[in-house]
Amino acid sequence: MSESGTKGTAAAETNGTPKAELDRAFEDLYRTHLRDVYSYAYYRVGNHHDAEDLTEQAFLQAYRHFDRARRESNGRPLRPWLIRIAHNLASNYHRDRSRRPTANIEAVEPPSHPHDTEQIVEGREELRLVMDRLDRLSDDRREALIMRFALDMSNREIARALGRSDGATKVLIHRAIKQLEEEMEKE
Amino acid sequence: MSDESTARLEALLSDALRPIEPPEDLASRVETTLSAITEQAAAELSSWADELSDSELESLRDPRNWVRPVAAVAAGTLAGGALVIVSMRRRRRPTGFRATAGSMLRSVRTQQRGAR
Repeated sequence: MSESGTKGTAAAETNGTPKAELDRAFEDLYRTHLRDVYSYAYYRVGNHHDAEDLTEQAFLQAYRHFDRARRESNGRPLRPWLIRIAHNLASNYHRDRSRRPTANIEAVEPPSHPHDTEQIVEGREELRLVMDRLDRLSDDRREALIMRFALDMSNREIARALGRSDGATKVLIHRAIKQLEEEMEKE
Repeated sequence: MSDESTARLEALLSDALRPIEPPEDLASRVETTLSAITEQAAAELSSWADELSDSELESLRDPRNWVRPVAAVAAGTLAGGALVIVSMRRRRRPTGFRATAGSMLRSVRTQQRGAR
């Protein structure tokens, strides 16, 4: 947050943590994980516009509960908590519209950077196929794979983000990959 | 399914699901919104404090001045309780056919007593 944003409340404290310190910690959090939250949002909603809105909402919600989350995390990383917020917002997004993404992952708008999906997919039929098959997976399996491969999250982090046990998450990812493999072999 | 094909699929997934860089203006957009919220909260807090004069703040600290607010809360609670009792009584009062029959019966009995 900018200096101007913290000046007015620098003296204020939230449960013993000076507000200015809390704001600095939050600034670190969002700078570190902006790309993760945005990537997750983008793969969930399938377009830049809604991904930006969802990312902004996720950080606003995170900011409101940041102090408590920090206290309750006992020093554990807060990325799963952030992704869980984005996950819930994305679920609300789909529920409110009563539809899945307008475009499936295969057809998402090409991101405007060197790694963009379209560039990768061009000339590589296999990648196009894997994106298409990924879109056919159940929501929880697809989300787990997005967290694993787009965000490079560990099983434990994914478990925390999805609110499941470590064991259940391991099984979920294993089954998702197995199903994807079977789908790919049908081609 | 062999380990080899699984490893190949995982490599494909890593390639397909690359992290997406957020647009450059998103970071500043989030930052601006958060700053605006913080400033607004600070302004509201400070204006609330400004509205109370020093003597008002001082008098709030003295427990002897809490009698009036406590009495007001007690009076409010009593009034609320009375309203609840009245509305419950209203609800208990029979209405419709049974009420009409009851009132007719009462008036007949009164007339009989008068005739005697």
